[in-house]
Amino acid sequence: MKFVEIAKKDLTIEFRTKGTLNLMILFALITSMMFSVTIPMSFAERIAPSLLWLVFLFVGMLGYGRAFLREVETETLDGLKMAPISPVSVLLGKVTYNVALMLLIEVIITPIFFGLFNLSVAKPLLMVGSMTLGNLSFVVVVSSLSILVIKSKMREMLLPVLIFPVVFPVITSTIVAVRMCMNGNVSGILSPLSLISGFTVLILLVACITFEHAFTD
Amino acid sequence: MKAVELENVVKRFGRFKALDGVSFSVEKGESLALLGPNGAGKTTVVKLIGGLLKPTQGVVRVFGEVPWKNYEVRRKIGLVSHNTFLYDDLTAYENLRFYSKLYDADEGRAKELLEAFGLWERRHDLVRNFSRGMKQRLSIARALLHDPPLLILDEPTTGLDIEGQRDLMELVKGLRKTVIFTTHNVREVEELCEKMVVLRNGRVVYFGEVEGNVEKLYLSVTGNEVR
Repeated sequence: MKFVEIAKKDLTIEFRTKGTLNLMILFALITSMMFSVTIPMSFAERIAPSLLWLVFLFVGMLGYGRAFLREVETETLDGLKMAPISPVSVLLGKVTYNVALMLLIEVIITPIFFGLFNLSVAKPLLMVGSMTLGNLSFVVVVSSLSILVIKSKMREMLLPVLIFPVVFPVITSTIVAVRMCMNGNVSGILSPLSLISGFTVLILLVACITFEHAFTD
Repeated sequence: MKAVELENVVKRFGRFKALDGVSFSVEKGESLALLGPNGAGKTTVVKLIGGLLKPTQGVVRVFGEVPWKNYEVRRKIGLVSHNTFLYDDLTAYENLRFYSKLYDADEGRAKELLEAFGLWERRHDLVRNFSRGMKQRLSIARALLHDPPLLILDEPTTGLDIEGQRDLMELVKGLRKTVIFTTHNVREVEELCEKMVVLRNGRVVYFGEVEGNVEKLYLSVTGNEVR
């Protein structure tokens, strides 16, 4: 359970400094407000799931990669590398920390977003579940891939270029699932949710197998 | 079984060959100095022994195990480096507590070490508010948390004042562990180490006992004066 200690340590630092969390929330609010001002309400209902996902994508790109980048900036990554723990524990620690951030952002931003667009959701609980699953998958992808770019000087630019093609199936499936929840027509929702779940498990497995190579040396 | 063994180790970073056929060993309980001009490969050797890097060729063994492959052997290694590996936004106590969890060390050890290093009164202060000397003391406490039989000190006196350097030397002398020590300070080598390795351009140019005038020996094998 070493990964819990790593996640707890990251959360303690984050809640103390609030550097990443505040920026993520602020950015999500600004993006949501810009969308609500520029997009006509009549049109919003059709594209709301995509817009909400865009907000989460932007915010996630801004924040989730920081979990590893901060270790590089503070020169503490070698401290983790030297510890008698599996690299997978480090990865799971970072994923757990990012999931906690993600849930916080989701809890704060989703009601504000729906309020701004005055949207109604037929199946709100199922929608929250679908979004959480999609976000979880996104977090796993960002957390796993960010270790690959930490040595690059162009890491902030490289990360989105790497992530978007990988995360594309999750984005489209989550948008489909959220739209179904908004309409109330959820008979076919298992299909996108299965795709997201399968993809998440696959990415996590691949990350666990390959992470050691990326983490060492 | 030797505490540390390097056999014909080559380490490349891209096209750059940082180490070229480095071989030496350290017996249990021995203190070994790693000397060499800047860029000679001292820190690369330290990182290889600590399991932070894997060799391009050759073998590195610590207590018979390969450190970059075997996580468990890292319990036997404590590293004090230029980087303290401390989190500025955690308190001194939180830092030691975190590392003690990673190493399965007793939390009481953190208290013991904070007291021993004169940091107990400041245990609830954020590390970012510590002086360089205090950070270095805490970093040594971190490296000793799990009571490792091998201590690697990579230029540990950098940034310490004279008193801090003297305290550190006294501490290392009293540890009775296998110690690998990189330094530019000849006096420290003469005082602390039984053996020394001199590296130049990634190669071992001297491996043997610390005897006679270290400064002269260093000059003769490297062509450089000790800083």
